[in-house]
Amino acid sequence: MGWINKQRNILDFALNSLLRRKGKNSALFVVYTGIIFLVSSIIFSSESIKRESQILLENSPEVVVQRTIAGRHDLIPEQYIGQLKSIRGVQEVKGRLWGYYFEPGVQANYTFVVPDEFLYGPGYIVIGNGVSKTFLAGKGDILPFKTLDGSYTSLEVADILSPDSEIVSSDLILLSEYDFRKVTGMQKGFYTDMILKVRNTRELQAITDKIRRILPDTRPITRNEIMRTYEAIFDWRSGILLAVISGAAFAFIIFAWDKATGLSSEEKKEIGILKGIGWETSDVLFMKTWEGLIISLSAFFLGVFFAYIHIYFASAFLFMPVLKGWSVLYPEFRLVPFLDMFQITTIFFLTVAPYTVATIIPSWRAATIDPDSVMRL
Amino acid sequence: MIIHPAVIALIAGSLMVSVMLLLSAFFGVSIFRSWDIRSGSELQLNLERKTYLISTLMMYVLWFQLASFFLFIFTADRLHELFVGAMCAAGTLNVNEYGYPALILKMVNFILAGLWLIVNYVDNRAYDYPLIKKKYALLLVITPFVFLEAAIQGLYFAGMKADLITSCCGSQFSSGEGTVASELASLPVIPLKIAFYSSIACTFMSGFIFLWKENSKGVLFSLASGITFLISIAAVISFFSLYLYELPTHHCPFCMLQREYRYLGYVFYLPLLCAAVTGSGVGVLASFRTIESLNDAVPVTQRKLIAVTLISYFLFSAVATYAMISSPLMLKGY
Amino acid sequence: MIQLSAVTKVYNAGKQNEFTALRNISMSIDPGRVTVLKGPSGSGKTTLLSIIGCMIRPTAGRVLVNGKEITSLPERFLTGTRRMTFGFVFQQFNLIKGLSVIENVMLPAFPCGDPYGTMKKRTLQILDILKIEDKAKSKIEWLSGGEAQRVSIARALMNDPEVIIADEPTAHLDTKLSEEFMDILGEMKSRGKTVLIASHDPIVYDCKIIDRVVEMRDGTITGSENRA
Ligand SMILES: Nc1ncnc2c1ncn2[C@@H]1O[C@H](COP(=O)(O)OP(=O)(O)OP(=O)(O)O)[C@@H](O)[C@H]1O
Ligand SMILES: [Mg+2]
Repeated sequence: MGWINKQRNILDFALNSLLRRKGKNSALFVVYTGIIFLVSSIIFSSESIKRESQILLENSPEVVVQRTIAGRHDLIPEQYIGQLKSIRGVQEVKGRLWGYYFEPGVQANYTFVVPDEFLYGPGYIVIGNGVSKTFLAGKGDILPFKTLDGSYTSLEVADILSPDSEIVSSDLILLSEYDFRKVTGMQKGFYTDMILKVRNTRELQAITDKIRRILPDTRPITRNEIMRTYEAIFDWRSGILLAVISGAAFAFIIFAWDKATGLSSEEKKEIGILKGIGWETSDVLFMKTWEGLIISLSAFFLGVFFAYIHIYFASAFLFMPVLKGWSVLYPEFRLVPFLDMFQITTIFFLTVAPYTVATIIPSWRAATIDPDSVMRL
Repeated sequence: MIIHPAVIALIAGSLMVSVMLLLSAFFGVSIFRSWDIRSGSELQLNLERKTYLISTLMMYVLWFQLASFFLFIFTADRLHELFVGAMCAAGTLNVNEYGYPALILKMVNFILAGLWLIVNYVDNRAYDYPLIKKKYALLLVITPFVFLEAAIQGLYFAGMKADLITSCCGSQFSSGEGTVASELASLPVIPLKIAFYSSIACTFMSGFIFLWKENSKGVLFSLASGITFLISIAAVISFFSLYLYELPTHHCPFCMLQREYRYLGYVFYLPLLCAAVTGSGVGVLASFRTIESLNDAVPVTQRKLIAVTLISYFLFSAVATYAMISSPLMLKGY
Repeated sequence: MIQLSAVTKVYNAGKQNEFTALRNISMSIDPGRVTVLKGPSGSGKTTLLSIIGCMIRPTAGRVLVNGKEITSLPERFLTGTRRMTFGFVFQQFNLIKGLSVIENVMLPAFPCGDPYGTMKKRTLQILDILKIEDKAKSKIEWLSGGEAQRVSIARALMNDPEVIIADEPTAHLDTKLSEEFMDILGEMKSRGKTVLIASHDPIVYDCKIIDRVVEMRDGTITGSENRA
């Protein structure tokens, strides 16, 4: 009980002392909050992008079969469909048509996809939100596309994908098979790749083995493999970003160290007085610890809170380009809010822990001021 | 090497703990060499001040160890999607031979740091710092362990590659694999249940004997508590997990830390870790009872530690038993 | 109640600027009396007060407070003894700016772990005795010199110490305030406190409440005069 009261008293004093030195502490606080904001933004965004792509992939085909020649992805001929269908356990095989289209005017890469059933037929396209933004194109507008032979073909925008759909759809252009083949010059009888539906996922391993055997020039990719690759890429990206941020964090730690070491003469005098009138070194250490805790926790909550707003309600406008990658389109999208202990602990370790470690020695220095110094002020 | 924010956090955390211990050990050596409590010299004064720094550093080390222990499990759990065959933390830990050693070292270092703080706490209650040399000798023992942990954890993450094939809890913790984990999982349930409840009973009895009687030393309690700790872990893997997951074959010690199982794992492991520290602390202190200036401080502290240990074990066994009774799973044939 | 035997204090021992501030001092201080340390600047008065008040440890010699040897106590126990046995009044009042009077007076009790309510009640009582209870809520910066001095006495009394130690308490006060200060000390004496003052102010050492004057020079005691 006595111990708790004592800590309450010391905490009380620590709070008071922070408030009395608002000017000195606010600069530190702002920088600290900023760092926490950046780190948490990175972690939040990469975690939720990962989640979204996972959800997305969950609806994607179990197996994709690509043809490779000399290790490069190549077009797959129509005959393969029959051969794939003959494998036991394969329920359905479909050829897919998709590819990239580079638009020199806006220096952007779009993704062409021919959906299973394209409602509008030849001459029409459905575009993603990002495409609509860069072309300033709405429903009914006509967009020119450069075909393989150098001529242009005009396609009318029939619809725009709903703006709140996932990131990946933002650079999409959906079109008919006819237009796709015309623009890309892909011959009839060939597909980009093929997708398989299997009856039982437990047989996946056996099926992919079989595919490799009967069609040695193909490569079956299972959904799980894609997921793993995605994950690794996103983790890697956020790792790089974090490395950059940690440079900033390092500078901050030096700053914090400096702040903490460079006790003002006013503060030195105060601690001298406290020790003179009967505070023990560990009492002053407790006070310093409380001070650090107050600063850290409030900066932490504020930083995490702002990052949460930034990522989930302000479309992560600050660094989406780095995290998302391939396209130069910066779609506006909403990530699904997602927060858990794992992220919080990680953020804590990356921000509060280094700060705390950096302030231990300066606090100790302050706490071990000679008690008799107060007699000679 | 997999670059994930949490991996960076863990490595950074280990580095920080290592630096803190290096600092402590460095000052510890100078204390070890030149300590002279009778002297009023400036050197002695400086050394006394250093003791405050070291206590503070070790305090933070303890918290960091605890946090990084759980973050490590968290991370392993989160990374399982990258490995073929991994369904939870168990699979990720198994991707190379450093995973489990790193985890165990984290736990050991947490306990060691806790013990150091207990010794330190008692020492600070005596007028003449009677344990100062032992304390810093212990510090020099802890330091290499912390370094080892940092190194093994580093090797573990460095050896991780996406797409590695691993085996998960399903096979690691199933009977007949010939590993420690599978041995634990295949322990016969009824004898283990009896062992568990009787060791808990022994711990409580020896604890109460200490609290009631004046002149017991606490060694017995400490032993009982240590054995209970080990049996508890075995019991979690062997049968409490089954009731928790409501599956007759799922022995995983990690899945229970997840939301699906209402984070019950924390209610299991936090009290157990706490009891491991305080329970062994009672035993360590027992050897200091003969020191005159500690005559009062040691028994008082032992009492407190025993109380904490008993509360921890009570919490653990109450929750575990409740989970067992309320589970729809019936283990027949055992 | 306080005994010093052969106390020596050397600053910066073993270095070039080694300085012996106190040499072989032996004396004892009786309870309930007012003692003045008198001597020129640099004679070691402050150093001696710091040693008696458990702020620093002597280089050699022994100090006993209430029969307990404190010379080789570690800092944390020294501090405990200091907190409960001694109350300090400093030359510069050494109050903490930005805090109110009541908060300043309470500070020495913070590490004792008393509930806030108890501390506050005691503080108000002390402020009442010193007749500054109406200033309880004022900030330190607003106080006059005399008021600040009273607040610093109040702070010294917070933990109800047996001994009050004052180092040059009148250096910043005019004659009237100095006399007032000595009156307050007189009242403390009548309440049974032991008082120890270092001063070369005649208002202090010629005051009628003084029981004993100890003269110092160059770190040694050169004379001791018992009055009354
Ligand atoms: N930390 C220190 N290091 C070195 N010398 C010191 C230290 N503190 C005090 N001294 C020296 O010790 C001597 C005695 O100092 P002290 O303050 O005790 O004298 P004093 O009698 O209180 O003087 P004054 O009347 O001016 O306050 C002085 O010469 C001073 O310079
Ligand atoms: Mg002086």
